[in-house]
Amino acid sequence: MKRTRKTATAALAGMLTMAAGSALAQEPLKIGVPTALTGTYADLGNQAKRAIEFAAQQANAAGGIAGHKVEVEYLDTEAKPDLARRQAEKLALQGNKVLIGAVASGEALAIAPLLARWDALYVATINKSDKMTGDSCTARMFRVNNADSSDAATATPWLKERKETEWAVMAADIAWGRDVAASFAKSTESQGKKVVSENFSPLGTNDFATYIQKIKNAGAKGVYVALAGRDAVNFATQAKQYGLLDSATVAGVSFVTDNTVASIGEAAKGISGIINYSSTLDTPANKEFVAAWEKYYPGTTPSNFEGDTYVGMQVIFQAVKATGSVKAADLAKAIPGRSYDTILGNVLLRKEDNQLVRPNYFGIVEQNGGKLRPVIKMSVPAEIATVAPSPACKL
Amino acid sequence: MTSLPEKLIGAAAPRPLDAQRSKLPLLLALVVAVGGCVFPFVVTSTLTLSLLTQALIGAMLATGVGFLVRQNGMVSFGHALFYGLGGYILGVLVSRGIVPIELALILAIVVPTVLAFVLGLVITRIPGVAFGMLTLACAQAFYELALKVRGLANGDDGLAVTFPARIFGVPVSLLQDPHSMFVICWVVLMIALGSLWLLMRSHYGLLTFAIKANEERARFIGYETLVPRAAIYAISALLAATAGVLATFYNAFISPDMLHWTLSGSALIMAIIGGTKAVWGPALGAVVFFFIKEIAGDATEHWPAVIGGILIVVTVFVPIGLSGLLVRVFSGRRA
Repeated sequence: MKRTRKTATAALAGMLTMAAGSALAQEPLKIGVPTALTGTYADLGNQAKRAIEFAAQQANAAGGIAGHKVEVEYLDTEAKPDLARRQAEKLALQGNKVLIGAVASGEALAIAPLLARWDALYVATINKSDKMTGDSCTARMFRVNNADSSDAATATPWLKERKETEWAVMAADIAWGRDVAASFAKSTESQGKKVVSENFSPLGTNDFATYIQKIKNAGAKGVYVALAGRDAVNFATQAKQYGLLDSATVAGVSFVTDNTVASIGEAAKGISGIINYSSTLDTPANKEFVAAWEKYYPGTTPSNFEGDTYVGMQVIFQAVKATGSVKAADLAKAIPGRSYDTILGNVLLRKEDNQLVRPNYFGIVEQNGGKLRPVIKMSVPAEIATVAPSPACKL
Repeated sequence: MTSLPEKLIGAAAPRPLDAQRSKLPLLLALVVAVGGCVFPFVVTSTLTLSLLTQALIGAMLATGVGFLVRQNGMVSFGHALFYGLGGYILGVLVSRGIVPIELALILAIVVPTVLAFVLGLVITRIPGVAFGMLTLACAQAFYELALKVRGLANGDDGLAVTFPARIFGVPVSLLQDPHSMFVICWVVLMIALGSLWLLMRSHYGLLTFAIKANEERARFIGYETLVPRAAIYAISALLAATAGVLATFYNAFISPDMLHWTLSGSALIMAIIGGTKAVWGPALGAVVFFFIKEIAGDATEHWPAVIGGILIVVTVFVPIGLSGLLVRVFSGRRA
C-alpha cells in the first residue's frame, strides 16, 4: 500500500512538472531552527533568528537560491539539550532537514548523533565546544563560528601582555564554560601565571554574590568570564555593585557582546573580550551586509551572533547553488572542503573536522560611533586563530 | 471475598467493584489494548508516531503519580526522581560498560523501586503538604547531584548513550524506531494498567483504600498500615522508573531535566487533567497534555499559559478529570 501511494505521488509530481514547467517544480530549501527563544539564552537565540530571517528574505527577494524558495521554521529549545533534541527531531521529521542556529554547545552535542537517523544536517553558528569538532564530530555537523580553541588562541597573546598574575575564572557550568576554563588554565600556566579561583554557575543563575565574594577573597587581580545572555548581564551588574569591576581586570568570551553591553550600560566600559565578529569589519561584503541589515532592521547594526549566523546561512546557500540540490544528504557531502564568499572574506570550510577556517579578534568596550560597544583592538589571522584539526575527530 | 476493608471504605469513597462489574468496560479495554498495536500500521507520519511514543512514556509516569493519589491519597511533587534515576542508572552503567546491558536494565528498574520503598517507610507517615515537600526535596537533591557532578554524565549538557546492538537478543534499534517503540511502549503501558487494575480489585488494594479513607480505623481493627502505604509508593515509583528507562532507550540521551521538578509538576498536571479515579485517567491526561503542548507550542512560545488555563478549567469545572467525565457520559447513556 505504501508503495502504491509512492508511485501515485511520483506520477502526480511528474504530471505537475510537465504542466507547470520547471520553475514551479523547484523544491523549497526548508531550514529548521531549534534555538533558545525563551530562558537564559533567549537573547542569543533571538539574534540567530533575526539573522536567519534576514538572510531568508534577502534570498527570496532575489528569486530564491538557484530557484529554490527559502522556508524557515523555528522551535524553542530554552537552550536545554534534551528539549533541543526533541525539537530538532520534530523539525527534521517535518521536512526541515537543514538545521541551524542552536545556542548552547550541549544542544549541538545532543543533536549531532541523531542527524544521520533523521537524514538531516546541522550548521553551528553559536555553539563553541571543542568536542563538536573533536571526538563528537560527525559528517553531518559543520561549524562556521570560532571554536573554544580559537578563542583560547586569541586570548593567549593578550594574556601574555597582562601583568596580573592571579586570575579567577567565572564560567557557565556547561560544556562551553568548562572548555573555556580548561584552556584558560592552560594559558595561564604556560605563562607562569595561575588561576586562584575557579567558579562554575548553573545556567540561569540570578545571584552571583557568593561567586563574587569567593573571587575577591582569593585575591584575584583578573577575572576571565565565560557567561552569556542573561547570566552575563546579571554577573556584570552584580560585579559592579560589589566593586569587583573596579578592583580587578575583567575580560571574557561572549560576555561583553553588542547586546549584553547595551543591557549592562556604563558598567561594561573597559571590559575586554573576544570579538568573533563585529559589524565594523572592513570587507566589501561586510559593508554591503551591514547596509542591507540597517535597511531591514532600522536603527540596529548586526551583532556578533547575528553576523556569525549570517555566515552560516551564506555557507548553506552557496552549497545549494553549487549542488543544485536542497537535500540534506547532498548538501552534507558538498559543504566540506569548499571555499565560501562570506562577510568575513573568502574562507575555507576544512574537511578534516568540518570547521570554517576564519580569523578571530580581541577588543575592549568603549565609545564608538556614539554608543558603547566592543571595539576590535587586535586581529588574529585565520591560520593562527583556527587551530589545527583535533586528531580525535575521524571523519 | 467480602473483606473488612471493603466495609470500611464507606459510601463516599471510590467503589471500584461497582463501576467495573459490567463486562462491557472490560471488552472495551481489550479492544483498546489490541487496537493500539495496530496504530503504527495506520499512521504513516513518523513525526506523529514519535510524538505518540513520547506521550506514552509520559503516560507511564503520570500513571505512577495518579496511582499514588488514587490509592494513598498522597500528592507527589517529586516523581521525576524515580524517572530520572531509572534513566541515569541505565545510561551511566551502559555508557561506562560497567555491567551488561541486561543487568543495567534490571538495576534501573529495581533500584528506584527499592529506594522508594525504603524512603516510603519514612515519608509516607507524614501527611499532606509536608509529604509533597519532602518528595520535592528528595528529587531536587538528585537533580543537583546530576547537575553538579560533571564526572557522572556531563552535568547540564547531558550524555548521549551508546547502546550495544542487542539486549536480550533483541536489536536495540527496535527501541529507537518510533514504529516499533510505539508498540513496545503501548504493550508495557497496557500491562501496567492491567496489573494496577487487578491490584486495585485485590484484597491488598482494598486495604490501601481503607487506609486512605481512615488510617486509624484500619489500624484499630488490626491492620498494619505503614507497609501498604510504602508499597504503593514503591509501585508508583516502579512505573516512573519504567518510564525513565523507556525514555532513555528511545532518546539514547540522559540529562538532568529528567530529574527536574518541572517534570514532576507536568506529571501531576497530566494526572489531574485525566482524573485519578480511573486507573487509566492519568494516561489519558498525559496524551491530551502532550498534544495540547505540541499544538500550542507550535503556535506560541507561551504554551504553558494554555496548559495552565486548561488546568484551571478542569479543576474548577471537571474536578473528576477527563476520565471521570467520560465514565459519567458513558454510564449515563447506558442508564
